[in-house]
Amino acid sequence: MMEILKVDATRSTPEIFFDSGNNTLSIKGQSYPEDAFGFYEPIFKWIDLYLEQLNEEATVLIDFTLPYINTSSSKCIMMLLEKLEEAYISGKKVALNWYYTVDNDSELECAEEFQEDLSLPFHILPREE
Amino acid sequence: MVSTTLLDIQNSLRENGLLISFSGRFSQTIIEELGEAVRKYLEMEQSPMNEIHHIFSIFIEQTQNIKNYCESKENTEGYRKVSNSCIVTIGKLEDGNYICSGNLIATEDATDLIKKLETVSSLDKTELKKLYKERLRAETPPGSKGAGLGLIEMARKASRPLEYFITEIDQDYSFLTIKAVV
Repeated sequence: MMEILKVDATRSTPEIFFDSGNNTLSIKGQSYPEDAFGFYEPIFKWIDLYLEQLNEEATVLIDFTLPYINTSSSKCIMMLLEKLEEAYISGKKVALNWYYTVDNDSELECAEEFQEDLSLPFHILPREE
Repeated sequence: MVSTTLLDIQNSLRENGLLISFSGRFSQTIIEELGEAVRKYLEMEQSPMNEIHHIFSIFIEQTQNIKNYCESKENTEGYRKVSNSCIVTIGKLEDGNYICSGNLIATEDATDLIKKLETVSSLDKTELKKLYKERLRAETPPGSKGAGLGLIEMARKASRPLEYFITEIDQDYSFLTIKAVV
């Protein structure tokens, strides 16, 4: 019933593609909407339901490509990561790949700051383009 | 005459190294349009990617902060006055770029804002990072539009402490100017 969550990108919001069928979650694009909490609210709801029904055998692969996020979006991303962290601590298998643009230290730094406070598998990788 | 007025404006912009200036009411669309224009311009100038990222980031935080402040005045008497008082400029300095913005604030909000500005401009980068992280994990105050992180982020991305000035307009309003250098 909640198989796919798909939101197209706009100039200030990322593309969301969450597929509970094959356990992949992807967020791609810059994020600085007028109302970040409003934008991320349905995403939180989907994630909560998804993580609740997720069995411990499945491995969730998460891909983040967020070249620019404003502070209120960072707050939402942090909330999202905390949900994933909680699932990981409770024994579920989740792994995150965070892609950054080579030559952009700010993007790398942003990823590292999120990584610092989490214990779930969190890989920071250069984006190939 | 119209033509000389425009020339005066241009000369004044040039003297201040101004690249982009917008004065009026901020909307999300205007913020996006200007932000992307700034980015394109800096890319064309072949500025380092990091620097473009910092300028864009300060620009977005600052304009969204101001827009949120104006919206907090919705349904008050001063709403129109405050929301039409906004200005943002981006310009060149000898050793970098600056983002400078201003808007009217109600006198009753001045003390609180000055306190916040004093705090962020007194902290070094390590202390700013610590404060940023604390705030990122804290609960957002009820009724808040943003995450309360904008000024901290600006101070983190700027290469010098933020500068700010308050000009008293009358007993009800002051004009707040904030300048960040990258």
